Amino acid sequence: MRTDDLIRQLAADTTPVQRGAVGRRLLAGLVAGGLLSAVLLVTALGIRPDLDRAMLGPVFWLKWGYTLSLAAAALAVTVQLARPDTVRTRGLWLLAIPVALLALAGVAELVRTPSTEWLSMWLGRSWKTCPWRVLALSAPIFAGLLWSFRRFAPTRLRAAGAAAGLSAGAFAATVYCLHCPEVSAIFVLTWYSLGILLAAGIGSLLGPRLLRW
Amino acid sequence: MGTTEAALRDLMVAGLGGDAGAHAALLRALVPLLRGFYRRRVRGGNDDIEDLVQETLIAVHTRRATWDADRPFTAWLFAIARYKMVDQFRRHARLSPIADADAIAAADDFEAEAIARLDIDTLLAGLSPKQARMIRATRLDGLSVADAAAAEGIGQSDVKISVHRGLKALVARVQGGTR
Repeated sequence: MRTDDLIRQLAADTTPVQRGAVGRRLLAGLVAGGLLSAVLLVTALGIRPDLDRAMLGPVFWLKWGYTLSLAAAALAVTVQLARPDTVRTRGLWLLAIPVALLALAGVAELVRTPSTEWLSMWLGRSWKTCPWRVLALSAPIFAGLLWSFRRFAPTRLRAAGAAAGLSAGAFAATVYCLHCPEVSAIFVLTWYSLGILLAAGIGSLLGPRLLRW
Repeated sequence: MGTTEAALRDLMVAGLGGDAGAHAALLRALVPLLRGFYRRRVRGGNDDIEDLVQETLIAVHTRRATWDADRPFTAWLFAIARYKMVDQFRRHARLSPIADADAIAAADDFEAEAIARLDIDTLLAGLSPKQARMIRATRLDGLSVADAAAAEGIGQSDVKISVHRGLKALVARVQGGTR
């Protein structure tokens, strides 16, 4: 095709683009994937029966605060990597804040608990399944983010994949809180974070393949 | 039709606002810039170059939402052009880059490039904006002096002088830092 004809065709399809379109599209993918992930949770695992009571206590909000703020920080990095001319991602250190705060809560918890109970507190009842469930729930969210990226222009594909995986994992952990009855901060710090990191790792492996354009 | 950063940026802003005429003018203005960019870098026939130009135009069009209006338009454009070039080298062994193998490896590794750019950004920040822009255009983005002059809307000798003075100031600074 001649370049002039191509330009005519492209220009014929000039639709207005609003500022902040990248962020909105990323959020749309995240929310759509999150809804799918929530459906998966309700049908396969079920919502914890005491959710209404749990939402009145501090532990539930500690967990949600951790996963939600991690998801927000990861999204802030992802949105930068959606642009081609990002040479330096800013705000990576923000990811450390929720981790550090939860670790503090974990230390406070350990101090209050006799050391004979530390192991059972750390492993809870679901340490073997928790990371895998978070990872499984992150799949639809990662798919949603992949959809968002179809109109983006990432040039650092591995980093963009990792950031998208991290966002998906952290948001999946947020969804998983609706099911998981575990109450210990060190449990969440270890096993939730492990699932989130797995999602980020798989994202970094898939990025160079799936984010090409 | 101007091809300065300011002119291209205005067209882009109008195009993003839904002005099809401005958008078409933008894409037409990019064609010579992109042809020059690829001709200097890719060993291939005119058809190969034109394929790359068209691929880039399509990407500029479909992914125009990823331009941040707070950042330079040409930096965004050449980031896309460079990505398309590296991607093309991966796909088609037939096309080979003009630069030597080390340079390809470096261009392939966006992260290493990013780290190098970080240092460059810090260094260039100390120069006058015009000197920094001209060094960036001719030494980093790989524009010819003529292209850079056209993009900035100044004479070629002006570009050469800016680059020369800027580099001299950089050398002085680097040596001063080690002294």
